[in-house]
Amino acid sequence: MTTANKEVNELIKREYEHGFVTDIEVDTFEPGLSEDVITRLSEIKKEPQFMLEWRLKAYRRWLEMEEPDWAHLGYDRIDYNSVSYYSAPKRKEDMPQSLDEVDPELLKTYEKLGIPLHEHAKLAGVAVDAVFDSVSVATTFKEPLAKAGVIFCSISEAVRDYPELVQKYLGTVVPHTDNFFAGLNAAVFSDGTFVYVPKGVRCPMELSTYFRINAANTGQFERTLIIADEGSYVSYLEGCTAPMRDENQLHAAVVELVALDNAEIKYSTVQNWYPGDENGKGGIYNFVTKRAACIGKNSKVSWTQVETGSAITWKYPSCILRGEGSVGEFYSVALTHNHQQADTGTKMIHLGKNTTSTIISKGISAGKSSNVYRGLVKFGPRAEGARNFTECDSLLIGDQCGAHTFPYIESLNKSAIVEHEATTSKVSDEQMFLCRQRGIDMERAVSMIVNGFCKDVFKELPMEFAVEAGKLLEVSLEGSVG
Amino acid sequence: MKPAPTLLSPAFLHPAGQALPEPLLALRKQRGAALVDMPMPTRKTENWKYSSKYLKLTDEMATSLPTTGKTGSALAVPGYKVVFINGVVMPEASEYPDLDNIRIQRFGDLSDAEASDLVERLDSTLDAKAVQFAGLNTARFEDGLVIRLKPDAALDQPLFIIHEVTADASGSAFPRIFVDAGRNSQLTLVEEYISSGEEAVFVNSVTEFTLAEGANITNIRLSMGGENVQHIGATGVTQQRSSRFESHCVGFGGPLRRHDLRVRLEGKGAECKLNGVVVTQDTQHYDNHTTIEHVAPNCDSEETYRNIAADKSHAVFNGRIHIHPDAQKSNANMSNKNLLLSTGAEIDTKPELEIYADDVKCAHGATIGQLNEESLFYLVSRGIGRREANVLLTMAFINELVTQIPVEAVRDTVQARLSQFFDQAFQEV
Repeated sequence: MTTANKEVNELIKREYEHGFVTDIEVDTFEPGLSEDVITRLSEIKKEPQFMLEWRLKAYRRWLEMEEPDWAHLGYDRIDYNSVSYYSAPKRKEDMPQSLDEVDPELLKTYEKLGIPLHEHAKLAGVAVDAVFDSVSVATTFKEPLAKAGVIFCSISEAVRDYPELVQKYLGTVVPHTDNFFAGLNAAVFSDGTFVYVPKGVRCPMELSTYFRINAANTGQFERTLIIADEGSYVSYLEGCTAPMRDENQLHAAVVELVALDNAEIKYSTVQNWYPGDENGKGGIYNFVTKRAACIGKNSKVSWTQVETGSAITWKYPSCILRGEGSVGEFYSVALTHNHQQADTGTKMIHLGKNTTSTIISKGISAGKSSNVYRGLVKFGPRAEGARNFTECDSLLIGDQCGAHTFPYIESLNKSAIVEHEATTSKVSDEQMFLCRQRGIDMERAVSMIVNGFCKDVFKELPMEFAVEAGKLLEVSLEGSVG
Repeated sequence: MKPAPTLLSPAFLHPAGQALPEPLLALRKQRGAALVDMPMPTRKTENWKYSSKYLKLTDEMATSLPTTGKTGSALAVPGYKVVFINGVVMPEASEYPDLDNIRIQRFGDLSDAEASDLVERLDSTLDAKAVQFAGLNTARFEDGLVIRLKPDAALDQPLFIIHEVTADASGSAFPRIFVDAGRNSQLTLVEEYISSGEEAVFVNSVTEFTLAEGANITNIRLSMGGENVQHIGATGVTQQRSSRFESHCVGFGGPLRRHDLRVRLEGKGAECKLNGVVVTQDTQHYDNHTTIEHVAPNCDSEETYRNIAADKSHAVFNGRIHIHPDAQKSNANMSNKNLLLSTGAEIDTKPELEIYADDVKCAHGATIGQLNEESLFYLVSRGIGRREANVLLTMAFINELVTQIPVEAVRDTVQARLSQFFDQAFQEV
């Protein structure tokens, strides 16, 4: 397919479209990490004493931890003292009270990104919390949400306004001792989103957070905490972009979800951090810990992710299925191109009776990239009647990429049933021939085949995200057949 | 901070038996020196994650067991036979031909030139980093068997190798086999590991096969040691163009049972088929680690493993398929099914795929579960007792693999031992 290769190479040169930098006045900490930096960070955020103590405890523990090296990833060691741990747009007074007070430069940035912060967003019907570098800059639709009793705000506000809720749940799902990156996040997390859905409330609209890294040489460490009280339902979307820069930037987030009796949380992510250029220079290092605790009976958590960005992705959204009859779901499409590396998957830990989980993972590797599914399915001794179904498929595009599967399956209960299957294949010449013969051009054909491959996951995404995800995949894959 | 790793006790680094040609003694010494800092596997050692807690080596077990004794093999041997006792070949108990085109020799009988040639090839099929204990065998073996098949040679009957340990005192044994199969040669090799005596012993065995173009080797491996035997074994295979390797591993659990099976498909069109059956009961353990490396294009591999764990036992399976960048048109299939008969038991499985070529067909499947209630009901409703129905279905679960064992005598031994297992496993049902 040499002629095809040529067409392909011409097509590949599509650039990352969110790679611009916003020129805005910012307050940025000097690079480096110490107890002093953490204390200053906590002061700026006017946090209560308990938060500072929690951060310092995490920091001291983090100093003793070692960076994990088990993942199938290759990168130079990160110098944690060359990173700045806080960067925020400069403001004259305190937090803006409404969108009108938000710096217009910032609003322009989000408009460019297509994120509906302004009033016309009403049409979109999505409430957005926008996080710019280290801080949350705007949260929309607070009032209608408040009417329903839903708390949707930045986590900094939550620490000040709802300390009892934060104290009760923060760190219960992902403790600061959990892993190296979660420990670092607990020490220095700068902002993030907090959601509380009270008993029996079905959240009236989709909630969404948009993360944007802008400043150079900074890390972004956000923390998200979502609590769904008994019988409630919430759907939450997350999106991310960053400018194109030559150096690698660090992103180490923590997401904690808590689902009580009969509650349901649907968490969707479209991750499109800057992946680096075609020679593997630059890009975001994405080390994220996401975990859900299904504490309540018949609670349900569903993770859906579309991963197309980042130079390195290290991410395993997990469910701890403790409540009887609780349900965990994981739907993922991970696409790597050029020199991107992804080591991603999920953990389903079945502790309670009759818990069920489903894992559908689709990995697509192109160029010189490496794409790994790494997962754990575990049945504890009390997981009577628990069930898991796992399907992980890989699609290879080009002969210089790698696709790997490392599933761990552990069972301690005889009545638990697990089924795992995995396949690896490529976009076949026959499939291409069939499409081309019918007058479909190369690019369109690949995109059709890949879309078909990912269909099971896309149908789980909320509509507007599904459209975005499909487009994103088209862009990322453009012409990579070989 | 990481605690300092526990190292292999220096007591294990003193080989016994000097009746070997000089080149082999030199090799042994060199491997021994390399093991001085060998860390013992822990829970954090990826390929020993589930099994390190069963490995309990004491200094009393470090000394080599005496090399006399009798054999009590369960196999009625319908072919040629070589008996190893405590890692040393017993010529008086063995019956095997030594032909011009099929040379079967003890390490001790090799000339210096033959030994030098062997030294070049020993350990060539096993990656020392991945199979930590293979190096220990090379540092400690006291004897061994080398089988060399000249081109087109074929042995007319299966060759049985009985590895017996006599555990009348604590100690260890290091049996070693090397098979060099020439172009288009054929051999069926049956290895049986058994034990007598009650003391705690450690067996560390290595068997290697190098297959030249068109060679066809069948290897049957039965692990039937007693409750006092910790056994770490490794089998390494390299395959050239159009060769075929078939393996049938049947394992009964013990305090520690570990088998690493590594196959490298190095020549175009090579093919391997790996079957495995493991049953464990009481507090037994069994761990199978297999790796198939598709190095050359157009190779096929097919792997089927079944585990059954009863009572409070623990079975582990780790199967890895690695497709190298140039291995286009590879076909690889792996299936691992597990039956958990009791809630106190544990099964851990990890079917891995590592793929660097795009034009391949690879699939793996793994399941863990219990006997199907509907099938049980079907049998019971037709007047078959519940216990018998259980036995029938469990037997059916592995019989597909047992019936594929190509030597009848081995099949019979395995089936007899399995019915014993079923009698115990389904006692109180």
